Amino acid sequence: MEILKMTGITKSFSGVTVIRDIDFSVEKGEVHALLGENGAGKSTLMNILAGVHDYDSGTIVFNGEEMKDITVKRSESAGIAFVHQELNLFNDLKVFENIFLEKEILTRLGTLNKKEMIRKTYELFDSLGVDIDPEEMVSELETSKKQLLEIAKAIFANAELFILDEPTTSLNNNEIDHLFALISRLKAQGKSFIFISHKLNEIFTIADTYTILRNGSFIKAGSIADTTPEEVAQLMVGSSMADSAIYHERALGDVILSLDKLCGEGFEDVSLDVRRGEVIGLTGLKGAGVTEMMQAVFGARHITDGKLYINGKEMAGDRISSAMKNGVAMVAANRKENSVIHDFTILENVFVSEHTLSKKHPIINRKKELENYYEMKDLLNIKANDPEDSILSLSGGNQQKVILARWLSTGADIFLMDNPTQGIDIGAKAEIYKLIMEMAKAGKTVLVNTLEIPEIQKIADRCVVFFHGHIQKILMREEITEEEVMLYATNVKQGPEG
Amino acid sequence: METKTTKKRKSIGTILSNYSFVLIFLAIFIAYIIINGGATTWSGVMNILRHSAVVGIIAFGMGLAIITGGIDLSVGSMLAIIAGFAVVLFNATNSIFLTFLFTLAAGGVCGAFNGILIGRAKMPAFIVTLATMLIYRSISQYYLRSTGSSIYSMDGTLSSYDAFYSFGQNKILTIPIVGIVLIIITIIMVFISTNTKFGKEIFAIGSNEKAALLAGINVDHIRVLVYVIGGVLAGLSSFLWLAMNGSVDPATIGKSNEMYAIAAVVIGGISMSGGKGRLLGVLFGSMSYTIIDKIISSLGVDALINDTIKGSILLLAVFIQIMLPVLRSRLAKHRENP
Repeated sequence: MEILKMTGITKSFSGVTVIRDIDFSVEKGEVHALLGENGAGKSTLMNILAGVHDYDSGTIVFNGEEMKDITVKRSESAGIAFVHQELNLFNDLKVFENIFLEKEILTRLGTLNKKEMIRKTYELFDSLGVDIDPEEMVSELETSKKQLLEIAKAIFANAELFILDEPTTSLNNNEIDHLFALISRLKAQGKSFIFISHKLNEIFTIADTYTILRNGSFIKAGSIADTTPEEVAQLMVGSSMADSAIYHERALGDVILSLDKLCGEGFEDVSLDVRRGEVIGLTGLKGAGVTEMMQAVFGARHITDGKLYINGKEMAGDRISSAMKNGVAMVAANRKENSVIHDFTILENVFVSEHTLSKKHPIINRKKELENYYEMKDLLNIKANDPEDSILSLSGGNQQKVILARWLSTGADIFLMDNPTQGIDIGAKAEIYKLIMEMAKAGKTVLVNTLEIPEIQKIADRCVVFFHGHIQKILMREEITEEEVMLYATNVKQGPEG
Repeated sequence: METKTTKKRKSIGTILSNYSFVLIFLAIFIAYIIINGGATTWSGVMNILRHSAVVGIIAFGMGLAIITGGIDLSVGSMLAIIAGFAVVLFNATNSIFLTFLFTLAAGGVCGAFNGILIGRAKMPAFIVTLATMLIYRSISQYYLRSTGSSIYSMDGTLSSYDAFYSFGQNKILTIPIVGIVLIIITIIMVFISTNTKFGKEIFAIGSNEKAALLAGINVDHIRVLVYVIGGVLAGLSSFLWLAMNGSVDPATIGKSNEMYAIAAVVIGGISMSGGKGRLLGVLFGSMSYTIIDKIISSLGVDALINDTIKGSILLLAVFIQIMLPVLRSRLAKHRENP
């Protein structure tokens, strides 16, 4: 039985049609993957269903009833729960208070009946197999627990259909297993899920059926059992770009970056020699210390012990400016928070870092910057109309390319990239891998921190696996397999370095 | 996909909301001309510039602080302390040049004190400058009391006095010198904020401090500099005040000027949350307020109504700034599917 049937949905913004005649239906008790690159129309379609956007034409039937004039409230009360990437929880309230928000149980005196609410929260969590203390502050919870809480909250509100938008982005593998277990249990109870994710391996683990959108149009729907990740990737991108071989064998130069028993908050005893032109993939479960180590090399985190050499020169650490002067660049994780200057134009976002290195000339040479920008725009294939447009007018992938352009323009030799393909679509990802390889060919050294091992397989000369803040194992290119990396990352296997 | 027509339409709308301060200024200016009628003179209009100078120059410093996401409440009190001690120095040295240097340097010191506490010690700007607002004026008043006088008064018998005082009154090609100083500062500040790397860094910090830091900007250092510049500008304002008035009452000089400066900044379209806006607006914002003073005095109504009108204009300005983009998008929507 179909719980949701959307037919012929069309929607345009300011005269531009963003989705066109889309059919989308979900069966009761299934996990349905909604796939497509950024800008394919997934979010628009889901926002229509959740009542955030209205639509121009088409029909939506939910639970056998046609829904008209959907508002957020109506969509919720009909039983649709939209679990956003940015969680909608109140951090300063306790867990049970979040669940009972606007549905508080009162005593006869009209005061809050906390005991009863806490008891019911326990009941709810027990029935779901969720291990969270109802009296804990939400701000104290790990991200994964927050995700589970969000789902539990929706269950409590009698949701039938859950829209999960990239639910695993900030989860480690253990937490993902937890989430998937919960999804499977709820599925057995007849709840339905729409699962949006860029990670194909997850889709093939959890989903039953899929629908692919591309450029705002319906491409294909079917059963996961009848397809392959390769086919899905190809349908999403529309060309065979995602699959082409990227890695090139290169001759490496001398050691350019050397860590000698480097310690800091979150990592310890990290020793690593990196050669000019080398691409190193770093990986580890969340909190394994790769991010922290990168920040320390960049001067953004205090080095408590050990030595750091760049080009043979010992670095004092703690100063981003001196790391930059010595040719280090860092593409930080969480682009929105740590990289994008929201009120800046594309052009300003590109040159903000270069400016700090060229203070000898305090006045901006606009003409020269524009020339450089257009050069970089071609090199990186940035899809933008006008360099004076706001950076926010670009898609995630193009924003990330602007950030890459920012660091390329500093003339850096060593690039630390912390999760550089986070939240960007397959096409842009492939372009970024290619770019990293081009950079390496030109003698740049690139360290990439990522949780996605296929990414590392595409580009890395070596793979450094972290566990609990130290290097567990360094794998050579031919040794890198998903299984091998996971075994070291989860401490099932210990390397000589560990 | 964007066609030329939509692009053009967008730019007109954008200009309207980006330069709403010009609309507000023009509306007030036209009201002034209508009310004054035949009594409107060129020198009257030029006087607007002259009387905008003290608050206007302060407001540029305020604008920088607000763009970084901070604020400087101490600027009015800086006038009291800098101008007060500048009088003492002038009376002792009879030197305009030394007095000028002193005002700028003292402003720099007052600003650096704010800036170091805010930028390096990471104390909240509101609290730090609230405290120095109390401190600076109090020092000026306390010292004056200890000398036994009730105002700091420049010694009119000194040989340099006339030259100093006439600097505040004279005109070049019918434009008051003080007004010319305001224009020059405007040009410099607009240039710094739009064409220099330092200027961009100020905006970057206000827009996303963490990203600015990770992009290599020395956030602490820029913060300190911004408050130093604010102090130096307050010093320059103090110098102009002396040239225009010849004396300083530390209890009243610059009183509420920080509020007028904030209002000028906001009317000028600079966002209180930082990162957005144009310093050119500050000039128009402060002139708008000067014109209101003129209108009220030519209407002959009680000057106490002054702040009611200024406050209302502030509300109106912010209302327009918020409503214009909303109206624009509604209009665009209406045009597409009427």
